[in-house]
Amino acid sequence: MHIPDGFLSMPVWATMDAVAAPSIAYLARRAQRQFDHNKVPLMGVMGAFIFAAQMINFPVGAGTSSHLVGGALLSFTLGPAAASIVMTAILAMQALIFQDGGLLALGTNVFNMAIAGVLAGWLPYVLLRGRRSGLFIGGFVSVLTSATLALSELWLSDVRMPPAGLAVSMGVFLLSAIAEGAITLAVMQALEGIEPGFVRRPREIGARGAVVTLAAVAGTLAAVGVLIASERPDWVEKLAGQNGLVLPVRTLLASPPAKYFAGLAALLAIYALCTGISRALGRPIIAPRTD
Amino acid sequence: MLHRRHAAAKILAALALLISMATLPPAYSFGWPAYAIILVTMAAIARLPALGLLGAAAAVLPFALCFAVMIALAGDPARGVWLIIRAYLSSVTALLLVATTPMPELIAGLEWLRTPRFLAQVMQFLYRYLIVLIAEASATRQAMMLRAGSAPALRFRQAAAAAGSLFARAYARAQAIHRAMVARGFDGHLPTSAKAHFQWADAGLLATAIVLSAGVRILLR
Repeated sequence: MHIPDGFLSMPVWATMDAVAAPSIAYLARRAQRQFDHNKVPLMGVMGAFIFAAQMINFPVGAGTSSHLVGGALLSFTLGPAAASIVMTAILAMQALIFQDGGLLALGTNVFNMAIAGVLAGWLPYVLLRGRRSGLFIGGFVSVLTSATLALSELWLSDVRMPPAGLAVSMGVFLLSAIAEGAITLAVMQALEGIEPGFVRRPREIGARGAVVTLAAVAGTLAAVGVLIASERPDWVEKLAGQNGLVLPVRTLLASPPAKYFAGLAALLAIYALCTGISRALGRPIIAPRTD
Repeated sequence: MLHRRHAAAKILAALALLISMATLPPAYSFGWPAYAIILVTMAAIARLPALGLLGAAAAVLPFALCFAVMIALAGDPARGVWLIIRAYLSSVTALLLVATTPMPELIAGLEWLRTPRFLAQVMQFLYRYLIVLIAEASATRQAMMLRAGSAPALRFRQAAAAAGSLFARAYARAQAIHRAMVARGFDGHLPTSAKAHFQWADAGLLATAIVLSAGVRILLR
């Protein structure tokens, strides 16, 4: 899942680096507010723990074993901002020490695993109020999101798999995701047994948290959607074709990066529109209580 | 001698080479020997064992080969070959950087290049305690295997318990480290040993790398 250098095309890795850098800067400030500078040793040791824990083999049947990826687990125990920073540190060290992932591709790997993966893992945990199903789904969605994003970035870089390869890959991702969910749940339960009260009770994420999360999810869907979007004409294009009109839009958006940006731009436009409308409609129907 | 140069200069030089390689279209991939010559020359200047370097970079080949085969099957073998060559040369570049720079200095170089301090310090601590925790994980794993049952379901639970106890020990150790550091006057800033200054030699290295990377790229068009 760590993409090495030389695989991604320049628009893809440059965009991801440009997206990841300010995001990590923001998350670092946020994490620093929650865990002041004194807790830096804790973050570092947790990162080393994930590294080391990846050595422990979990048998997942048929003679194979899987290991913990850890993004979801970190987000449950440290909170999503700190988890993102620790995962970024891990990915950077893996790229530098073990050549596991490229340097130019670091932004991409960070986005896939440290930002999207952590957020995707944390959401189910919060939404399901820390229940066991939330732990499993968190681990599951975290790995599935990271893997699918990696695949779609490779796809956008014209590193295409034949359909059989794609099916096999998705199958492998699903199995890894299930394993991660099971492992995350099991480790969290073991932790609860060793030190009860250790696990962070998820607090309400609030309106701002919900907006940020939905934005991130929407952005991710736009990125992944390019991969699975159908090439067949939709009803507008079909009608136009029947009446002999050539839609200029089709040729404008021919290249994959343009589609990618167009999707994201459309999202931003919709967001701006919705925000504008909701502001304009501002006045509450029921006056707020003032007692 | 490359070892003494400022880490930030080496990082930027490596990035220049990587960007140059990454932006070259597959049609001009015949120019790869130019990059290979640059890299081997730098390795020679740094007196690194060439075979060791080239061998270590081969770790990226299995992954690259898989994708190259897929691309070739999809009908573009030239791109597949360029993928392998580019992945390998990029790996050599990264290894050159890491082999000539001690990790704490490398991380300090990243901080010099405006990496968030929080992140850089997490990396420093991660590196410092990586060996310690790997040793502990190894011991935990050995203990787990000695006490393990043979049923996979049982082994799964035991692996989870092993990971959980490793986590708790790591966390407790981190608390102890923090208390020890505070007792010795830690205020949140890790002292760096020798404040590295960006010297003319560093600028020279960076300029050479940029000129070479850009030159090869432009010449190859």
